[in-house]
Amino acid sequence: MITMSYPIVGGDYDSAGIATRKLKEQLARLGIDGAALRRAMIAAYEAEMNVVIHARTGTLWARVDETKLDLEVADEGPGIPDVDLAMKEGWSTASDRARRMGFGAGLGLPNIRRSSDRFQIETRVGRGTRIRSTILFQDAGAISAEAPDAGVAPALDADRCRGCRRCIFACPVGALRVSGNRPLILENLCLGCAACAEECPDGVFGIRSQSAVLPPVPSGAILLIPRGFIAAFPVRSPVRVLGVLRDLGFTEVRLLEEWEEALLDEARREAAAGNLPLPRIPPLCQPLVSLIEGRFPSLIPHLSLFLSPAEAASEEFPLRPMFLAAACPGQFAACSPSSLTERLTVVPPGALKAAILARLGESSGGHESELIAGPRGNPAPGEAAASGARAVLRTLSWAETGALGHVSVLDLRLCAGGCSASPLVAPVPAAAGPAWMGGRRREPSGAAARPQPFRQRPGLRLDPDMAEAIRKLSLIDGKVRSLPGRDCGSCGAPSCAAYAEDVVLGRAPDNGCPFMEKT
Amino acid sequence: MKIEELARAIEAHLIVPGGPESRSITSVYGGETMSDLIANAGPGTLLVTCLNNPQLMRVADLMDVPGVCLVDGCAPAPELLSHAEQSGKALLVSPVGVKETCARASDSIRAGRLAP
Repeated sequence: MITMSYPIVGGDYDSAGIATRKLKEQLARLGIDGAALRRAMIAAYEAEMNVVIHARTGTLWARVDETKLDLEVADEGPGIPDVDLAMKEGWSTASDRARRMGFGAGLGLPNIRRSSDRFQIETRVGRGTRIRSTILFQDAGAISAEAPDAGVAPALDADRCRGCRRCIFACPVGALRVSGNRPLILENLCLGCAACAEECPDGVFGIRSQSAVLPPVPSGAILLIPRGFIAAFPVRSPVRVLGVLRDLGFTEVRLLEEWEEALLDEARREAAAGNLPLPRIPPLCQPLVSLIEGRFPSLIPHLSLFLSPAEAASEEFPLRPMFLAAACPGQFAACSPSSLTERLTVVPPGALKAAILARLGESSGGHESELIAGPRGNPAPGEAAASGARAVLRTLSWAETGALGHVSVLDLRLCAGGCSASPLVAPVPAAAGPAWMGGRRREPSGAAARPQPFRQRPGLRLDPDMAEAIRKLSLIDGKVRSLPGRDCGSCGAPSCAAYAEDVVLGRAPDNGCPFMEKT
Repeated sequence: MKIEELARAIEAHLIVPGGPESRSITSVYGGETMSDLIANAGPGTLLVTCLNNPQLMRVADLMDVPGVCLVDGCAPAPELLSHAEQSGKALLVSPVGVKETCARASDSIRAGRLAP
């Protein structure tokens, strides 16, 4: 059980509601479901406003265990002479000021009672009032204890790190820490996106691979690349790069985009069928899937049950060797031979780039007909698209509230611009599209059904066991209060709350904040 | 229904567009007290009210509604405007009263649902 408390100041309408807002943030971290959270917000806000309107001071207490939330709001106020009367809708003694702001309609206490599974009120005239509300959880603690994928995190070249700490603020899920000049990745949180690599000026982050060079290319091999890969070379035309790739042994170069379009078409068919929740979210980006499974589990039913584009491409050519230049650590891990097929060789883009650059001066070039048409552009009517970690997080937050129910398909990519714009693929993402313009458009290839369903993962939750999560949150809450709240990153964590979590979970020493002695 | 489309349909002025451009309004609820609004607010609900003060946006934030609509062409209070911009909630101002605004919005949302 964890107990949280928030002070309430009577008559302070500017701060009214802040106690309930803080409670909401903590309950969300414990994984309290939407319906219970909504009832809790109504009860807590109404009780808080009662204190603001009628009392001198008060406190909102919240106690959470695996099965229920107990709210208690006690105040030092005038008390209620007739509780039965006060419970009648429309009866109120609120001031004119409160009524002008929309309060004092005599609906507060009835709202609390309706939102509660158990409701109790104690009052003494001239002393104060104590309101208790209990909200039972319907599905508390229902979470898979499955461990997160191993090996999703990027490779670290820690010797390059200068300790600038830009990466800790760039990571969309707060999975990075820097201690001195040593970066540390919290692998249970890491999505395998490339946000850290994009921000790092020193090239610390890359893709884990046993080999930094391109392995031998067997006869008839297909190369699968994001569109942006071709923009990584100092040449006027991609035709020369295509020639080098042929010299290296690749008989065919295919773009991931072909399978992305096939996957989008499947999501559109699902949306049109009308029997699945909208919007449909095609798993175009592996880190996106990890993000939804860990942080937005209520959206798992929205994920189209298909393989990612790279996985589907491998399924389409079962007899031919295929190479994939992975756009991010997450894609590399998802498509690595141990998790998919031995036909697919996943290589870091850097290894392939090095091999191409070494031969670029010698190549006779390819042929114009090998150029592939540019991307299709804007989303189709009824669809929406967002790319970049911040935009995707914001969009998923909205989708989780049900506010995007009118959207048929959500095209989401964690890299701003999609795989083509991964900092590990193209140094100048904006040049990626034009580099391939002008050729013929291939028909979309086929999507491949996913054999295993998507599953909720512990992700950002403190512990799979709710009781343990509650205990840890209690400790973290206490630690946060002792910190200055600067969120400056001096301790190596992106915020004071993240540092407090590190201390409680044993990831950081208790004396890491340089401002502690001054506060 | 997209909030921009709804604003046009009910002839309301979209003061703050709010979060992602594509977010939607699926229902509308009008009320003149905070208790009424919070009890009936839900994801996708546009709250229509004459309560021109920052507490309105606090209720919207707690209940995860996409936006609120003031009525009778009133100018939003600066604190309310500031709260809307910070919280990412949409803020509209309708030229007519609560009932008429709700009727217009409800018709528009229903028509949007029926449209092919």
